Amino acid sequence: MPVLEGTELRIVGFLCNWCSYGGADTAGVGRFKQPTDLRIIRVPCSGRIDPLFIVKAMMNGADGVLVSGCHPRDCHYSEGNFYARRRLEIIEKFLPILGYEPERFAYTWVSASEGQRWQEVVTSFTDQIHKLGPAPKILGPQASDTLSVMEAAL
Amino acid sequence: MGLVKYLKSADLTPWLEELAQENKVFAPRYEGDAVIFAPFDPKQEISIKHAATMPPKKTVFPQSEKLVDFTYSKDPEDLSRVMIEGKEVLPEGTAVVFGGRPCDVRGFTMFDRVYLAEKTTDVYYKARRDNTSFITLACEKPETTCFCHWVGSSPYDATGSDVLATPIEDGYVLESFSPKGQKLLTSKLLENGDRWISKGQEVNENAVESLTDAPDLSRAPQKLLDVFDNMNFWEKAAAKCLSCGACAYLCPSCYCFNITDETTGMKGTRFRSWDNCMSAQFTMEASGHNPRPTKAHRLKNRVGHKFSYYPGIHDGVISCCGCGRCIKSCPVGIDIREIVQEAINHEPAIG
Amino acid sequence: MKFQEELKKCISDVMPELDVVIGWCASFDPLHATPHFMRRKEDIDKLEISPLSVHNLATYLPGLRGKKVGIVVKGCDSRSVVELLQENLIDRKDVTIFGFPCTGVVDQSKIKKALGHTGNVESCEMSDTALVIKMDDKTQTLAMAEMLADKCSSCRYPDAVISDYFAGEKIGNKGEKDVDYAAVEAFEKLSVPERFGYWLKELDRCIRCYACRNACPLCVCRDHCAAESRDPHWLSQENNVRDKLMFQVIHAYHLAGRCTECGECQRACPVDIPVLMFKQKMNQEIREIFQYEAGVDPEATPPLLSFKMEEENITEKVW
Repeated sequence: MPVLEGTELRIVGFLCNWCSYGGADTAGVGRFKQPTDLRIIRVPCSGRIDPLFIVKAMMNGADGVLVSGCHPRDCHYSEGNFYARRRLEIIEKFLPILGYEPERFAYTWVSASEGQRWQEVVTSFTDQIHKLGPAPKILGPQASDTLSVMEAAL
Repeated sequence: MGLVKYLKSADLTPWLEELAQENKVFAPRYEGDAVIFAPFDPKQEISIKHAATMPPKKTVFPQSEKLVDFTYSKDPEDLSRVMIEGKEVLPEGTAVVFGGRPCDVRGFTMFDRVYLAEKTTDVYYKARRDNTSFITLACEKPETTCFCHWVGSSPYDATGSDVLATPIEDGYVLESFSPKGQKLLTSKLLENGDRWISKGQEVNENAVESLTDAPDLSRAPQKLLDVFDNMNFWEKAAAKCLSCGACAYLCPSCYCFNITDETTGMKGTRFRSWDNCMSAQFTMEASGHNPRPTKAHRLKNRVGHKFSYYPGIHDGVISCCGCGRCIKSCPVGIDIREIVQEAINHEPAIG
Repeated sequence: MKFQEELKKCISDVMPELDVVIGWCASFDPLHATPHFMRRKEDIDKLEISPLSVHNLATYLPGLRGKKVGIVVKGCDSRSVVELLQENLIDRKDVTIFGFPCTGVVDQSKIKKALGHTGNVESCEMSDTALVIKMDDKTQTLAMAEMLADKCSSCRYPDAVISDYFAGEKIGNKGEKDVDYAAVEAFEKLSVPERFGYWLKELDRCIRCYACRNACPLCVCRDHCAAESRDPHWLSQENNVRDKLMFQVIHAYHLAGRCTECGECQRACPVDIPVLMFKQKMNQEIREIFQYEAGVDPEATPPLLSFKMEEENITEKVW
């Protein structure tokens, strides 16, 4: 990774096992060109994603977080993604108060056959994060560790 | 009597700046609406008119501290063999704490009996304790929650302090109580204080006079043991308790800690962090059994430890310094004085 | 207070059927009240209801489940009771609710700010319009309206929304005021680094006593909180501002669609960290997206415990 330092940002993806992870796999098998900033974590269902995962990822240094599950009405567990949609919508709108741009987070639906769509989602989300640049980071245990660097940057 | 000096109010900031050249200086200042001890910054106004929201406990006993940094490595010859290398992290540098109150600083003497004991000395605590000096401010007027005189202290008690500063008009009378304190009083900003001594004494005496009568707590240790098994008593006392840790974490004499190893990849740190007996996990055993299952058990421990168990093994010294923060900052206004007195006055039902 | 005697009589009449009735009484100084657990008739004499009755007593209800409990509630407190009923965390048949017309409670931090300190209060007289406080050989008069908690100045439920007995005359809805989120909106107008830096600075002094959590009537996990779990290890034991901030997010998120903004979290904080704003923000969203308000209707389902196939107010991103 050091080779890419400075050019690559860190994006964490939470993908459901049944649709989106399959979709990402389809994109890979189809050899669709994709940016490499995204690190994927496979979860059983988008309903498994605790929205706090997203905040935790951001606070630990992620520049963006992407969540993808099965299309509504297509959930392997019937309704997991319906619950997920409500939760994710709320956390997206909550991010600004913490000092993160809401655009650093996105959720979407990609089915296992939609390799092409996956490529579009990843490319466009990565572009979006690159436009925003690195997210604000917590640099040490004391607030002053971060605040002094922030002040110096101004 | 130690060295006595006089400091003009206007010279306080320059003096602290001078001290800050060689030491890390902590002084109370406003952060939001709370007054806490923070690294001294001449650009920010210090707040010493009233006792701080938080005592300076963390200057010697940090909220969390690194004890050991460790690294795992694999033996290249035998990958199933994992080796670990640890590096002790000892605190460095000297510190001066300005603006604590007699109760705040006296709290550390209760730590000392536990952490500086002959058989087991806590090296981390000792390092900070030895390298920290306290310039304590005598109190001019006790607050409604103050009860230092109940527990054997006074508004100008210098126990544990290196210098006691008594505020008089336009300045402070400074008196040293240790070699460390004597060294602090060598600044050119200070003038001989002999002619101010009587003024200082007057302030000290006035403070004592404004105290209300203190009840006799000598029966407290035994009486608290008597009600140990009386859960009715404790359930009543703890009914409104929320079982949070505000009382313990704001207490200058609460010294309990927790140790956690936190590992990321092949590296990790052993942390020591504050813990409190009001937390359910404080006594949680690995089996899942908890000998203190309810808030009544926990509050019993907190009160009992301070006024009975600790005095029982430490020459009758009560491990409460009477600062009153647990009363003032308790979200539901639990009054430890009330509980101790109820225990003292409790007469077991006959039969 | 006129209704106080009526309330005392009310409680006295029902007391034989109850294990305990929770109200407020005088505390360590004239400026503070404290929760009061009444078990015998003579305890009722000490009951005092005033602008100092700040504590939300609903916090105690889940812990007393199984007992017959009476509780005196302000309008805002009653919403916590409703929410607890909604979530089946207490049993309606075991709880007897005493309501009264609440004209607001004080914010101790505001008083402290106005007076410089409140360490030596000798007496405190209260009227509808003023607090007259005697301290340090001085008598100071503070306007009640300025000392009231923020939640009171925009209160829409001064009377208990649910009660078995109501003492005094209902105030009625004060003109259907809408919720006031001006402070949150103003904060959101700040730049990204300003917002980010603000929380780091504020939370730096957090001592992790978890008074915010334990005072919260809806933090019902009590001894099993994610904050102290080692597996999963959500939060480090290090004194790290990241973990302090993360806990506030955990708290706010676990209250999404449940929080009634009683403000106990912020009031309980011994170092005055303005943690209520997180919950206000969450509630603002819940209102906008789901047109839902917690703790009003005992029969309603909190929005995150349900869903619709087609969500009217959620517009998904188009790629």
